[in-house]
Amino acid sequence: MKHLVLAPQRTLLLLLAPYLIGAVGLFVLPGVLTLALAFTAYDGLAPPTWRGLQNFADLSIDPIFPTAVQNTVLFVIIGVPLRLLVMLGLALLFERERRGVRLYRSAIYMPTIIPDVAYALIWVWIYNPLYGPLNLLLGAAGLPAPAWLVQEDTALLALVGMLLFQIGEGFVVLLVGLHNIPAAYYDIARVDGGNRWQLFRHITLPLLLPWLVLLAIRDMIVLAQQTFVIVYLTTGGGPYYATTTLPLLAYEQVFDGLRFGHGAAIMLLTFLALGAVLLVGFGLVRWLQRDSR
Amino acid sequence: MKRTPRRVLYHLGALLVVVLFVLPLYWMLMASLRQPGQPPPRTIEWLPNPAVWANYAAIFELAPLATALVNSVLVVLVAVPLTILTASGAGFAMARLNGRLQRGTVLLSIVLLMIPAVALWLPRLVLYRYLGLLDTLAALILPALMGSSPFFVLLFYWTFRRISPELFAAATLDGAGNLALWWRIGLPLARPTMLVVGVLSAMLYWGDFVSPLLYIRSESRYTLPVGVVVLRQMDITNWPLLMAAATLLSIPAVVLFLLVQHWFWFAGRFSESADATDVLG
Repeated sequence: MKHLVLAPQRTLLLLLAPYLIGAVGLFVLPGVLTLALAFTAYDGLAPPTWRGLQNFADLSIDPIFPTAVQNTVLFVIIGVPLRLLVMLGLALLFERERRGVRLYRSAIYMPTIIPDVAYALIWVWIYNPLYGPLNLLLGAAGLPAPAWLVQEDTALLALVGMLLFQIGEGFVVLLVGLHNIPAAYYDIARVDGGNRWQLFRHITLPLLLPWLVLLAIRDMIVLAQQTFVIVYLTTGGGPYYATTTLPLLAYEQVFDGLRFGHGAAIMLLTFLALGAVLLVGFGLVRWLQRDSR
Repeated sequence: MKRTPRRVLYHLGALLVVVLFVLPLYWMLMASLRQPGQPPPRTIEWLPNPAVWANYAAIFELAPLATALVNSVLVVLVAVPLTILTASGAGFAMARLNGRLQRGTVLLSIVLLMIPAVALWLPRLVLYRYLGLLDTLAALILPALMGSSPFFVLLFYWTFRRISPELFAAATLDGAGNLALWWRIGLPLARPTMLVVGVLSAMLYWGDFVSPLLYIRSESRYTLPVGVVVLRQMDITNWPLLMAAATLLSIPAVVLFLLVQHWFWFAGRFSESADATDVLG
């Protein structure tokens, strides 16, 4: 490799270059461009014209915007704690290595690996009010069978429900977290006569807390942003805007309405809100860790 | 013997949970085998009678799924090796850089992860139009040139950081440069991470619906997720065919995961010394 002998730092920068160029070209610049477009009127054809804060003023009187904010917040507030609870419960259930447990873990991960398009279709079928398997099951048990995705008051909950199964990533992260708790802690506590609840309450939970906060932050981003495809393909934001979330509204403004400025303004507001939550969250993690050492 | 009944109880409970998580996929499979055009079932059907495997041939006749399938495979085959190469290179460089540069790049990666995807779609559309990439498969593959996701780069960074510095120091004394360290020492030791990133990125590109939705116009360049949505628009109530298409889209992901599941859990163990501080860099 004589011909490749470069100054060490320079080779490293060579390895880093594709990533850094891509990071700037595909993330940073587009992000900045969106930021700038939020203050302009732009239809994708004529050059953008400066509008100042007019886009934000328009949003404040748009009746759908508060609905989208409310839906997104509800989606996150109901979805994140429930998803964390499922992740934690399953991680505790399948933590210990024993016969069959790897098979169980793989099964839990299964819904997470299904591509979004397929996952959305599956659940539109399962939630079908008349002949979907879920309502046939509920009907056979003599339980009420709502119209799920096509009924205004259940649509958002139905969306949260189907996302409770796609928790594989957080589940794995918590398994690693549990795995890292030294067994000696439990041994000592048992000698002191702690029962299972006390062990969980005073050892597992505090040591897992930083992980849980990190997962909560990540899950907020996931639910507020990345569920676009699933919402788009299951309800399309309906019925009557009952499931229109902010990314969906932004998409409609940009790609259906060709109001790029409005779309960008919505994205900017979402980003700022998420950023604020993230800052608080990361601060919390640091503080928790200082506390535990 | 108090242990045996408790163990049976545990496995019964575990199986119940497992069934709940696999049930949606089972229902998909069963619905895909129903006779199309029949009146919908009145009671729950656990096994369709007769099982109509012809549905899987019918979807290819109805929608342009064959081309879409080829395109999807092509995208994955190009994007995954590229991703592993660029993500591992960047992760390796980050692990070997000195203090300030290292902290800077880790922080940058975390910030990049926070940028909402929706905020990137429109400017990327403008950029791709400018680069002449619109309506080409290259537009779908382009992110692979930068490691596909900052998350993959971070995964490699965490992996390489755990390799003992003495190992690198010894090889450096033997005259190896950074490229050789990455290729000959780093990568072989990072095999579990390569596998995990390979699988995760394969699923990312295989399932990607947004990129083709935004950047692809011609039917001849549709990928499979778009093909499935097109099929749905053609016949929105033909559930047997729709579920067959959903199964077709899911099976490669499921098979891939089952093939590597052992390594998947192993990679979890591999990061044994990880804690939340690592995540923060």
